[in-house]
Amino acid sequence: MNRLDALRGSTPQKPHDARAIAALAANPGCTRRALLDGAGIDKDAAARHLGFPAPFGQSPFAITRGNAFESLVKADGCAELLRMLRELLGLPIAEVAYHDVENVGAHLRHAHTRALFDRAARDGDDAGTVYDHPLLSLRIAGHTAYLEPDVVAFQLGGRFHIVEIKSFAVIDGQADPAAVAAAARQAAVYVLALRRMLAELGHDPLRVAHDVVLVCPENFANRPVATLVDVRRQLGVLERQLTRMTALDRLLDGLPEELTFDLMPGEDGLPTRPAAELADALRRATARYAPDCLSTCDLCFFCRDEARQEGATDLLGRHVRDELGGVGSVGEALGLADGTRAPGEGQEEIARLLRNAERLRRECLA
Amino acid sequence: MSDRLDELERRIDGLRAGVRRAMRAKDPATARGLRAELRAAERAWDALVTEDAAPGTAAGTDGAPAAVPGPRTGGRGRPRGGRLVTVREQVHQALTLLGAPAQPRLVAAVSEALLDGALRGAQLTSLRRDEERSFVSSPYGRPYYLCAALTDRLSPARGLLTVSTWPLERRVVGPLSPRVDFLTCAMAVARHLGADPVAALDPRALRLLARMARNIPGATDADLGPPDPDRVAGAAAHELAVHAGRDTRDRAELAGRATSQLDDRARLFGASTLITVARDTVAGDTVTTSGTAGGTATRGRR
Amino acid sequence: MSLLTSLARLRALDEGIAQPIATVRHCHLSARPMVFVPLKLSGEAAAPLAAVLGTDRDRPHLLVVTQPRNRDLRFAWAAELAGVLLPYVEGFLSDTETVERRNADPYERALDAPQLLVPNTAGIAFTRLLGRSTRFRRPDGPYPVPETVPLLGRWLTYFGERAAFPGSSLMLAATEELGRHWASGQSGLEDANLAALLGWITEGPADDAEDPLIWPPAGPATDPGFDAEVLAPAIESGSAERITEALRTQLEPTWRLMWQAVDLLAGLPEGASVAQRWEQDRGSFSGMAAQIAEGAPPQARRDGAVAAASRLARMERAQAAYEVQRAYDDPLVMAEYRLTGEAFAGEVVETDPAHAEGEGRSRKLRPLVVVKTDDPVRLAPGTALGTPQRRGQGAELVSAGDGLVTIKITKGMGRGRTPTPGAVPEVGERVCYSSLTDDFQGSATLPEAEATPWTHGGPPSAYVPTDDDAQEEWS
Repeated sequence: MNRLDALRGSTPQKPHDARAIAALAANPGCTRRALLDGAGIDKDAAARHLGFPAPFGQSPFAITRGNAFESLVKADGCAELLRMLRELLGLPIAEVAYHDVENVGAHLRHAHTRALFDRAARDGDDAGTVYDHPLLSLRIAGHTAYLEPDVVAFQLGGRFHIVEIKSFAVIDGQADPAAVAAAARQAAVYVLALRRMLAELGHDPLRVAHDVVLVCPENFANRPVATLVDVRRQLGVLERQLTRMTALDRLLDGLPEELTFDLMPGEDGLPTRPAAELADALRRATARYAPDCLSTCDLCFFCRDEARQEGATDLLGRHVRDELGGVGSVGEALGLADGTRAPGEGQEEIARLLRNAERLRRECLA
Repeated sequence: MSDRLDELERRIDGLRAGVRRAMRAKDPATARGLRAELRAAERAWDALVTEDAAPGTAAGTDGAPAAVPGPRTGGRGRPRGGRLVTVREQVHQALTLLGAPAQPRLVAAVSEALLDGALRGAQLTSLRRDEERSFVSSPYGRPYYLCAALTDRLSPARGLLTVSTWPLERRVVGPLSPRVDFLTCAMAVARHLGADPVAALDPRALRLLARMARNIPGATDADLGPPDPDRVAGAAAHELAVHAGRDTRDRAELAGRATSQLDDRARLFGASTLITVARDTVAGDTVTTSGTAGGTATRGRR
Repeated sequence: MSLLTSLARLRALDEGIAQPIATVRHCHLSARPMVFVPLKLSGEAAAPLAAVLGTDRDRPHLLVVTQPRNRDLRFAWAAELAGVLLPYVEGFLSDTETVERRNADPYERALDAPQLLVPNTAGIAFTRLLGRSTRFRRPDGPYPVPETVPLLGRWLTYFGERAAFPGSSLMLAATEELGRHWASGQSGLEDANLAALLGWITEGPADDAEDPLIWPPAGPATDPGFDAEVLAPAIESGSAERITEALRTQLEPTWRLMWQAVDLLAGLPEGASVAQRWEQDRGSFSGMAAQIAEGAPPQARRDGAVAAASRLARMERAQAAYEVQRAYDDPLVMAEYRLTGEAFAGEVVETDPAHAEGEGRSRKLRPLVVVKTDDPVRLAPGTALGTPQRRGQGAELVSAGDGLVTIKITKGMGRGRTPTPGAVPEVGERVCYSSLTDDFQGSATLPEAEATPWTHGGPPSAYVPTDDDAQEEWS
């Protein structure tokens, strides 16, 4: 992984959190993103330095609300959570043991989590039920990312369940599908991390359930309600992408040896590398911009700007791109429509359609 | 006057935009400076508007929090009958009623619903630190201290309040204790309301009881009417019997360790986690302990 | 989206200005629409923060929850909203017409109906949630609310649900309607930003539209930067004036954009079928008003199985009808079908108006028309055809090839030995025929609600709102 370290240069590594790892699977075809993430480069900082700050932010009200809801679910010995686990999974009354992994110092939390789960997997019945503030880890392209699931519940048929607490509401049995999907992707990261931990400890990784317990407020009350969410599909996507990331060497092969995305932070941590130079370096790694990037990738405005300058049809969305049968540039597509450009091999059909479409538009708008 | 307001508003808008631009550029120093200017401008604006509206009408105070039908914690300031009770005494009363370690949220809810208190979460956050400071400067100078519950590593349990006069067995928490203490608290609340039919009519008290009851098996019929205090107490006692034996053993063991290993101050306010960590690291001792077998973690503390 | 629209987007991108994808307006536009721009508190499902609304662009009503964390003030806000919206809605109930029906009693239909315009689809979703969170409230009992609040909830629920009904114009999202008539040079995702989309349509794209400092989001979500830097300190200060002024800055730009959108849509001539769909809207609106007047309970939390199935079937029919009507109303929409070979247009080159099939009593008049077209016709002989030029007429494809299509007219040319004058197009006339036709299968036979099979949950119990509904916290 030396080349990845060289890509990052003197920039401190940005640790991945579950949300970032989940987002890795968002645009698997993007080499630029794969390399930046693989090298652990702070894309947000890079985007700001390039003059294209990411359009993301979280409202303090949303953060406060999220924290308040989580503490409600965990209040009074996880009373609400135990009720839901009993209702949802048939947790026996006797199973109430609570372990707060955070009782140990911060840098021991991961080791402590390992020890607790090892013991739970070995001893079964005598182990705890609710593990609060566990700290898991996952290797991402040679680096270790530390992950903090909300809660891990054990003892439900000898299985571990990831509990994910989210403050978006479930109203009359329905929640915002995008929010549920994001929660499922994030929970899948925890499932995978916990499975790998058990495997390393010599236990059966499948003792971590692929059903995660999603806890949300119900209707407009604060009362929490739990739902099982199957994350097998998200796990599949995630594993595939992580495997891909271990094969970054292949992506690096086509790039010049001396290429680096180093931000060259000064003493104050602010980047000192000329932005134009960084932009040039980034452009060496091909991006695969799609409008979806606008909600998932810090570098989206930079890549969109690049797509604009190139006149790429990607700008208009995958749907348009697919409909154009892979005609990649706006000028090319319009040339085919106007008949000023001869179709290349394999473009005859799309050219015919575009010419017809152009004729019809002219006729109707005349 | 309104010229001046217009001017201030323009300035405020400009400053707000500046602050947000600085925040987005992650330039905290500029943002802070601009924010300070912004606050000053906003204060000036507030003052001017109030001054503007004050003569003759009450409009100027419309926006003041007291005139608004009220953030719950703001309006109702003092206990019934004008009797002034300190925050620490209110907490003490609530904890005494509950009889088990409890989180500030529950303490405040009990104080409000059953004791007519008015605690705010923020008032409780600094409480334990103040108590510890007082104890250090003059040990046992007060009849009681509000102090920490102790974890299985004898460190202070986050967010759990106890009273120093309780036996140590009650002030330590093993793996089952959070549940046991919740059930104990629920029983206490239910019995308090069962014994005082008038108090049981207070909607705040009923809400508190209902909230606890729904998390105890057999304590309510599915959402029909207010919970019956006797039934809630009975259901809590029933589940408590399942956990009590093991919890009592765990706690006795922890209390024994606390007695032999901790000094007076640490027995009340908990051993520092940092020390624990340092010892463990030096000893090269991977922490493989939890629950009742926490010995290695605190070995050789004193 | 079709290739035609994709091409329009490419052209827009190339020319730096949005391109028309419709030649007429496909939605009804009220003479007095109620423009409604709501904002919600971040992190909450349906906690209102503020709204600006009104029917007069020069007199917006600004309603603000002056202490957003206070539940009572949220209901006071809902009551204020009811104070503006209910008189508007009820104002349409006095002028009605009597509609005769087959096999049913005649009913009274409002001559005009209210129309709610919100900036985007999230605004519609929020309106629905606002309806859901207020319609079960009670003016009496332990958590009383002003009595207009539950009524408001029922109307908001109605508008929110009706917005999902294809072709309905009772509640519209500006970005959706603009996007139906213009193709911008950006993606559909970016079109959800009202300022950006209007920029493309009017002056061309500008990055300003994405800068929340210049164009605050059109709601209901607020800009996180605004929340952190402006709103939170204002709430902390407890000053109602400050909170109001802060929220005004976030709403006023969108208010102006909304009326700009109204003007743009008003500039298009109305499509021929719009009035017919609006008539259905008026009927639906009158039905809802009648239900309320008869004291029916608020809409249930969820449909029963039969109600859900019949609703789905109604929506599918409405969707199909809407698509056909748009194509018949608008040559640019029909062009999409011409591109795929499901329709063709061209000049009549030959006719045989007296052509007949069969002998004696079974002799039928079947005028023949030959159309010369450049369109790639992909229709089999025998396919039933309709034409926007003569809407009642039916035809059938006889043969197609070499740019010539022969059709025979089967319906709508009169019963005599020769066709009604004007029924058969003349040589030289431009015509368009399509396999899209407006006659649909009748509704699927669904059991009455009382006969719901057990596989679908059995007959639903009548919905009775519970105290629990009324007491839900509004967190």
